[in-house]
Amino acid sequence: MESGQPVFEAIGLTKKYEDETLALDHVSFSVRAGEIFAMLGGNGAGKTTTINLFLNFIEPTEGEARINGIASHKDPLTAKRNVAFVSENVMLYPNFTALQNLDYFSRLGGKTQYSKENYHAVLRRVGLQEEAHTKRLRGFSKGMRQKCGIAIAILKDAPAILLDEPTSGLDPQAGFEFIELLRSLRDDGKSILMSTHDIFRAKEVADVVGIMNRGKLIMQKHAAELAGHDLEELYMKYIAGHIRDAA
Amino acid sequence: MLSTIIVKELKNIIVSPKFSATFAVTSLLLLLSVYVGINEYQATTRQYEAATGLVDQRLRETRSWARLSNRVYRVPNPMHVFVAGVNNDIGRTSIIDPTEQVKLTNSTYNDEPIYAAFRFIDFTFIVTIIFSLFAILFTYDAVNGERENGTLQLTFANALPRVHFIAGKFVGLWLGLIVPLLIPIVLSVVLVLAYKIPLAVDHWMSVAAIVLVSLLFCTFFIAFGICISAVTRRSSTSFLFLLVAWIVISFILPRAGVMAAGTLHPVASVAEVEGMREAFAKQIWAKHRDEMQERFRKRADEMQNMTAEERSAYEDEHAWEMMEQEDKARKDILKQIDLLGKKLEEETRNGRRQQEGLALVLSRFSPASAYQLAAMTLAGMNIDVKSAYEDALSAYRASFVTYKEKKEKESGDSGGIRITVDSNTGFKFSMGRESGSLDISEMPRFNASRFSFSGVLASALPDIVLLCAFTFLAFAAAFVAFLRYDVR
Repeated sequence: MESGQPVFEAIGLTKKYEDETLALDHVSFSVRAGEIFAMLGGNGAGKTTTINLFLNFIEPTEGEARINGIASHKDPLTAKRNVAFVSENVMLYPNFTALQNLDYFSRLGGKTQYSKENYHAVLRRVGLQEEAHTKRLRGFSKGMRQKCGIAIAILKDAPAILLDEPTSGLDPQAGFEFIELLRSLRDDGKSILMSTHDIFRAKEVADVVGIMNRGKLIMQKHAAELAGHDLEELYMKYIAGHIRDAA
Repeated sequence: MLSTIIVKELKNIIVSPKFSATFAVTSLLLLLSVYVGINEYQATTRQYEAATGLVDQRLRETRSWARLSNRVYRVPNPMHVFVAGVNNDIGRTSIIDPTEQVKLTNSTYNDEPIYAAFRFIDFTFIVTIIFSLFAILFTYDAVNGERENGTLQLTFANALPRVHFIAGKFVGLWLGLIVPLLIPIVLSVVLVLAYKIPLAVDHWMSVAAIVLVSLLFCTFFIAFGICISAVTRRSSTSFLFLLVAWIVISFILPRAGVMAAGTLHPVASVAEVEGMREAFAKQIWAKHRDEMQERFRKRADEMQNMTAEERSAYEDEHAWEMMEQEDKARKDILKQIDLLGKKLEEETRNGRRQQEGLALVLSRFSPASAYQLAAMTLAGMNIDVKSAYEDALSAYRASFVTYKEKKEKESGDSGGIRITVDSNTGFKFSMGRESGSLDISEMPRFNASRFSFSGVLASALPDIVLLCAFTFLAFAAAFVAFLRYDVR
């Protein structure tokens, strides 16, 4: 695809559930290659719904969620070939070792050419200790599992990466390592769409920050525009303002 | 993609503790049941040979055609090693005699009630109860467990068609469950060969068919388990539901069918039939007694005014006629009792067949019943064995009775005590023909029908088709449910 073309694209994305709950209300944004878009927002803001729409876990009521120009709900299999996903709480197969989990999910991602050495290399890259590579995941901490999840996403080698609350529950060291990893993926030209509560890390790593509240994208600013602003203050101001408007 | 899912499922099962537990329990149970089956078959064969030897000896020692009677024993079926069916419940022997109706008596459980208390665990029991339970344990969280673990989301973040996932799950689980079943089956076959159990080609074909039907039954439970895990969100809910369904399918439905049939189509019990027969016999003998007294009174009246010489002459003249008259009356009564016995027996048998038919139709709503009936039929151990044997024995009894009557006529030996009066030798008593044993070389022998695979397969086909239908429905339901499943 051409450089500069959006990899993730939400066009008037709307989701209304059968009980009439409006989870997402005409949300539009785009994320280009080599760009990290951080969606900030409280619980029920619509961040996970947006991710679910990109992965076609649910169908939009209106609008489109496109990955590499392909509408997820129209051609989900092709769209999913272009995206890797890391969930909030990576839960892999506990009876499998880290290597076995990587091998299985790489094959599911259509990558059958990897050797054991490739798996070891990527696990080293995400910072998982060598001795843990051949251990079953049953005894892994959340941070270790998160690293495995990122390793799976890297191995898929998709242009787009979706991260749902990736730093939630990580200790400061693991959080720092994770941010470093995201930067290196961005440097590889990956387009990253991430939902998070973590304002500090969002400011630290994101190229674009979007604030969501009650299913709406109420603010969207580039990192340059945020320079010199206290993001936390801005976040509270926007949320408060939106609540006032809604009232 | 499909092979990746299958391999993952297999690996996941093989490294799980439930696989080793299943394999250990199944191997132990199957090998133990086959070993016990072999021992039981060998013991039954020895008993059969000893009993038939004794019958032959008794026949050779019989010296009067009138007293000739036979006893037939059921030939042991080597399929008993795998499927007990009704083998231990129905009688093993019947007397073949003109005065007695054919009836199989002396079942194993009748003779040795301890075996009834701790019933024989055979291959079909292990598959019906143990393996279906294992199938539930393997599948109750097949879909919802992955959702709870979060692996379903990660899986479907990839370009994976749902049909591949559900088919891969099904095949992987199937292989993971079937391997622990097939290995001990192969070992059981080796055991049977080592003990030289005389299984003919038809028997081996039947064993193979029973194994296939067992796999089909397991397939049903695997598909059913996946289906329930794909219509529920929580694995604890699906486990509870499957456990209740397992109890209903394995225990309640089969028995409910039988109980409902008993209520809808009541049949007189053996004791009631015997009671009716005895009441009739008592009544007709009482009537005969009254008539006989009347005849004797009439004769006495006729002789009342006679002198002693006239009375003696009258008695000499009418003695034979009177004896014949009494004998005819007695034989008529015996015939009537026999006819009523046959009629009652036929009515009961027909009623019981109808009741059994209804019970089977109703209980077949359970796949466990369909499987057990198919396996028992394939082994030649289903509930028709008793009636088929008794029918064959009835036919044999008819030919035996004809032979006996013919021989009685030819020899003039009609039983009873023969008194010969001779002016030279005086009185001589004899018990019919007593000089030497009888020549029974032409006596018809009972030949049990030979085990035929095509025959049992044809009989088992409806149950096999039913089991296929149950399995297909369960799989189709699992497939449709998963297509609509919310993977979040």
